[in-house]
Amino acid sequence: MNGGAGSGFSPVLRAVERRLALPLPKRVRFLRELEFDLQELAGRLVADGVPAEEARRQAVEVLVPDHGTVEELDSLHATFYRRLTRPLNPGRLRLVERGTLAVLTAGILIGETFTLLQADLLSDPSPFLWPVLLGGGVLLAMAGAKAFQLWVKGNHSRLWAGLNPILVTAGGILALGLAGALWELFHLAGALEAAPERAGVLVPGWLARQSVLLSVALILSLAGGLAWFVLSQCVAFLSSARRELLEPDAAPSLKKEE
Amino acid sequence: MTETEFDVQAFARDINELLVLSTLRSGAKHGYQIGLDVESESNGLFRFRHGTLYPILHRLEEEKLIRGSWKKDGGRQKKVYSLTRAGERHLEGRTSRVQEIVDRLLTVLRQPGEARA
Repeated sequence: MNGGAGSGFSPVLRAVERRLALPLPKRVRFLRELEFDLQELAGRLVADGVPAEEARRQAVEVLVPDHGTVEELDSLHATFYRRLTRPLNPGRLRLVERGTLAVLTAGILIGETFTLLQADLLSDPSPFLWPVLLGGGVLLAMAGAKAFQLWVKGNHSRLWAGLNPILVTAGGILALGLAGALWELFHLAGALEAAPERAGVLVPGWLARQSVLLSVALILSLAGGLAWFVLSQCVAFLSSARRELLEPDAAPSLKKEE
Repeated sequence: MTETEFDVQAFARDINELLVLSTLRSGAKHGYQIGLDVESESNGLFRFRHGTLYPILHRLEEEKLIRGSWKKDGGRQKKVYSLTRAGERHLEGRTSRVQEIVDRLLTVLRQPGEARA
């Protein structure tokens, strides 16, 4: 599929794209439609004897949307969430969204704790379990916020933003769990050296605590990694169609800074 | 007879939509061709500029009055629109309404000099 290569209208399409707030798939489809029509009109004018540059200028004047038309297109293709929240002041909306995110994070934390309580895994928790749970809450909230931005708000202006922190946090949670287990192993070794007769009590206790800590850290880290993978694939898919149309000479890569 | 208030902007939008629907009666076309045909069939009276045709097409497509599909054209992709059955019915119904509005307008304009209070 040949998008923008050789069309000569790539700069025009990029300028139009900067003014549009449509979700990316619809944005790309519209630009592709516009590109064809621009080429057709310019071609027809050239066939009628109009110089090529003038033909391009006339085609742009006839077909490229002005400010009012862009607003109309944005309104027409807005997601359900955008239509619902249109009456709200943008500052207030941002406040509501952040407040909801904070509540979501707190809810995740409560949910995690409740789940562990139900399974009777908090009778003797590792001190590292709490920061791991906190990190897990933050991680899942970050992934949820990114998914919300992509699929509910349809805001595709900064596609890759927020993805790397998800991966880094997932890795950090795993690292924290491992570090906690090692730290407690070190202290267990010290305790056994001081009182070897207590091995029968200390070792099972250590094993129970670390198995909970490492299991929770591993599960949360894997969940974060999976979320990162799914979101990255979605973003790569969205941006590849755009890149093919608007930057046909760009080297293909998974990540594109926007 | 009581009438709901006549909305001039809605009427203007209706006219644009009806022009697009009527030109699709002769077959599927892409956006620029639709604009060209409307201009040619109206002898230049109706013209779409600054991309104003696109929101009209997209709105009609969303309302299922026209159907958009992608076709290959010499290595390029073009979006072609065709009239749906619902679009044909809509066109017939609204054309009658436009006729009614124009008739009433002409009736008012051609009133022999009535004194107004």
